[in-house]
Amino acid sequence: MERREALKRIGVLMGGAVSLSTASGILGGCKVGPRSEPFVPKTLTAEQNELVTTISELIIPETDTGGAKAARVNEFIDKMLTDWVEDDDKQRFLSGLDQLESSTIASEGSGFLELAETDQIRILESLEAKRAQWREAVGEGTASREERPFFEMMRELTIAGYYTSEIGASQELKYEIIFTSYEGDVPYEEIGRAWS
Amino acid sequence: MTHVLQLQWDPPTFSVQNQRRSVNLFHSLLMSVKNVYVSQGAPEYDAIVVGSGISGGFAAKELCEKGLKTIVLERGRDVVHGEDYITEHKPKWEFEFRGRGDRKLLEEEYPVQSRSSPVNESNLHWFVKDTEHPYIEVNPFTWVRGYHVGGRSIMWGRHCYRLSDLDLEANLREGVAVDWPIRYGDLQPWYDYVDDWVGINGEALGLAHLPDSQFLPPFPLNSGEQVLREAVRKSFPERYVTIGRTAILTQPHRGRAACHYCGPCSRGCSAGAYFSSQSSTLPAARATGNMTLRPNSVVHSIIYDPESGRAAGVRVVDAVTMEQLEFRAKVIFLCASTLGSTQILLNSTSTAFPDGLANSSGTLGHYLMDHHFEVGASGDLPGLEDVYYRGNRPTGIYIPRFRNLGDRATRRSDFLRGYGYQGDARREGWGRPTTGFGVALKEQLRDPGQWRVSINAFGEMLPREDNVVELDSERTDKWGIPLLRIDCTFGENEMAMRKDMMQSAVDMLEVAGCSNIATFDRNDIAPGLGIHEMGTARMGRDPKTSVLNEWNQAHDVPNLFVTDGSCMTSAGCQNPSYTYMALTARAADYAVRELKRLNI
Repeated sequence: MERREALKRIGVLMGGAVSLSTASGILGGCKVGPRSEPFVPKTLTAEQNELVTTISELIIPETDTGGAKAARVNEFIDKMLTDWVEDDDKQRFLSGLDQLESSTIASEGSGFLELAETDQIRILESLEAKRAQWREAVGEGTASREERPFFEMMRELTIAGYYTSEIGASQELKYEIIFTSYEGDVPYEEIGRAWS
Repeated sequence: MTHVLQLQWDPPTFSVQNQRRSVNLFHSLLMSVKNVYVSQGAPEYDAIVVGSGISGGFAAKELCEKGLKTIVLERGRDVVHGEDYITEHKPKWEFEFRGRGDRKLLEEEYPVQSRSSPVNESNLHWFVKDTEHPYIEVNPFTWVRGYHVGGRSIMWGRHCYRLSDLDLEANLREGVAVDWPIRYGDLQPWYDYVDDWVGINGEALGLAHLPDSQFLPPFPLNSGEQVLREAVRKSFPERYVTIGRTAILTQPHRGRAACHYCGPCSRGCSAGAYFSSQSSTLPAARATGNMTLRPNSVVHSIIYDPESGRAAGVRVVDAVTMEQLEFRAKVIFLCASTLGSTQILLNSTSTAFPDGLANSSGTLGHYLMDHHFEVGASGDLPGLEDVYYRGNRPTGIYIPRFRNLGDRATRRSDFLRGYGYQGDARREGWGRPTTGFGVALKEQLRDPGQWRVSINAFGEMLPREDNVVELDSERTDKWGIPLLRIDCTFGENEMAMRKDMMQSAVDMLEVAGCSNIATFDRNDIAPGLGIHEMGTARMGRDPKTSVLNEWNQAHDVPNLFVTDGSCMTSAGCQNPSYTYMALTARAADYAVRELKRLNI
């Protein structure tokens, strides 16, 4: 929503109960702040960060809206690895990342980042196939959640990071702060996208 | 710990000199807080209200409007309506953990609060730090609290359902605990009175066991919920799928704006679209000029005057300065929350009441209840791919109780009482299970997934004497108040009911045509999680077996009223705050009439 329009609507809704400056504080979310400092990862190395950035963009690429890279999903992943993910999951993620790089060098003769995109996709497809096998095994009770593979975590963190980012939530999907009513049976084409 | 302070408060109480010094300090202190509610004036009040949540806010409004000079004592920090709703309308990408919360912080400082589903990154500032407010769980009991002006009325669930005679006669009929001293006829005008002030939306169903409120227009059901409603109606004539009855405005009401459907109510609502003490009752009380509101005022105990047989006032510790203060008044309304009020009464000992004030019956602290929930089912609802919804509706569906309604058809041999469901239908979002990656995945997640229906039962818990809270004999909090020891468990009746709660959910989803039906039953379910803790100072007809009479007045102390959840004689399965409001307004009306007649 346009900031001016949102302010106007909130002002009307509140019947002048709050000042415009309060409403403007409430709508802090409409601001898009400029980037002041370059990103320095806290848990990922510079090389791992490059790798995560590239893989995340392959999972959610740029189309008519920005992809994972534009949404800075790598920064979200580094944050979660630093402050949220449990230690054993973090170690599995980081060693999975390193293993991807070393096995790519072994099989392809160069690092993941140097490969052509089609080759990168081919490698991720094999990881996705293994992930699907693991999920199936969990469903059958022959594998545990504790053994979840690197690509399961990478994919999950990318999806969560992207769709909770400003680009993912408000440009790719649909986001509005306030509504005039709740309608429970709207033709889908009137909305056209999932609410974030 | 430097903050520990052993208070020496035995009768006789503070000298007059001390009292004056305290009051002076109190006025100078107030000049330094940002919100000055206090008018300079006499230190003697007509009424003291302890707590500013749902019950305390209502008591303040009623007593002030009836002309009583009233001091409201709130143990927590001050909150300015609107201005202090620091996360309202903040989008998820601005939260450090995108709304998930700081896992390590939650584990270290909020280990109890974070067991509860309403607690998240966007509303964490409304919940207490468990590290600062300890208590003792003899058996697991999740005590969810918010210490600030407005209390849990800021983040409450907002559902409002009336009790009926089915609930109020149940103990008598079944020989459980003691009989309620009131019936629906006593409550009905006060529910009406509350409706007129609060604004409750919903659909009138004409059910005797879940009486209608004087409703504002209801929120609509969505397409998925309509399917469930029709299917359930056809297969189970005694079951209704209706919209949740909630204290949220669907149209402007008494100076408050209608809902703007932003979604996360528990962050606070500047527009005042949902009812809270902050949006409604405290401003009304303030407008009379009769209210003094004092935050950071931890009530230690109630002062009992053995000569008059009355409560003389309260002892307070200033939460910030640790200063000890006293306030005196003609009548006291204890609205400090179920466990808060009982803790104060238990800590108010004297020669006349060695086991806690108003506890000649010995029942104070006993018969603690909650609702048991987090059991039910969810399922995919096929079809309806071409319909969606717009706006964040701040409630879901409700399925009123349909077991043990007093007739043969609904009678169960495996458990007493009953339960209702809350739930909703919605289309799955980006978090649904998917496969693959790349453009195809992104395109897939651009559209919503299928419809999924989820219903979660809320069941009645029977009152049991051995579900009890006591004061710990050794440990105190940093204000010198003994810690509460809570020993409470669910019983056989609740466990038997849970089986039916799950099965009936499956039955209804099946007739609605759902597939992939998944049941759930929280395996660590324990009391407290419902955040509907009630009982421990129950109402009753006989002073020998209850703490309060039919007016929420202490049998033993005529100028002491307790009108929060601690008064409950049984739990019903209805969300209880609405009943506390009605009981509070009714008790305030009675108290002021009695004051005028010089009876108290």
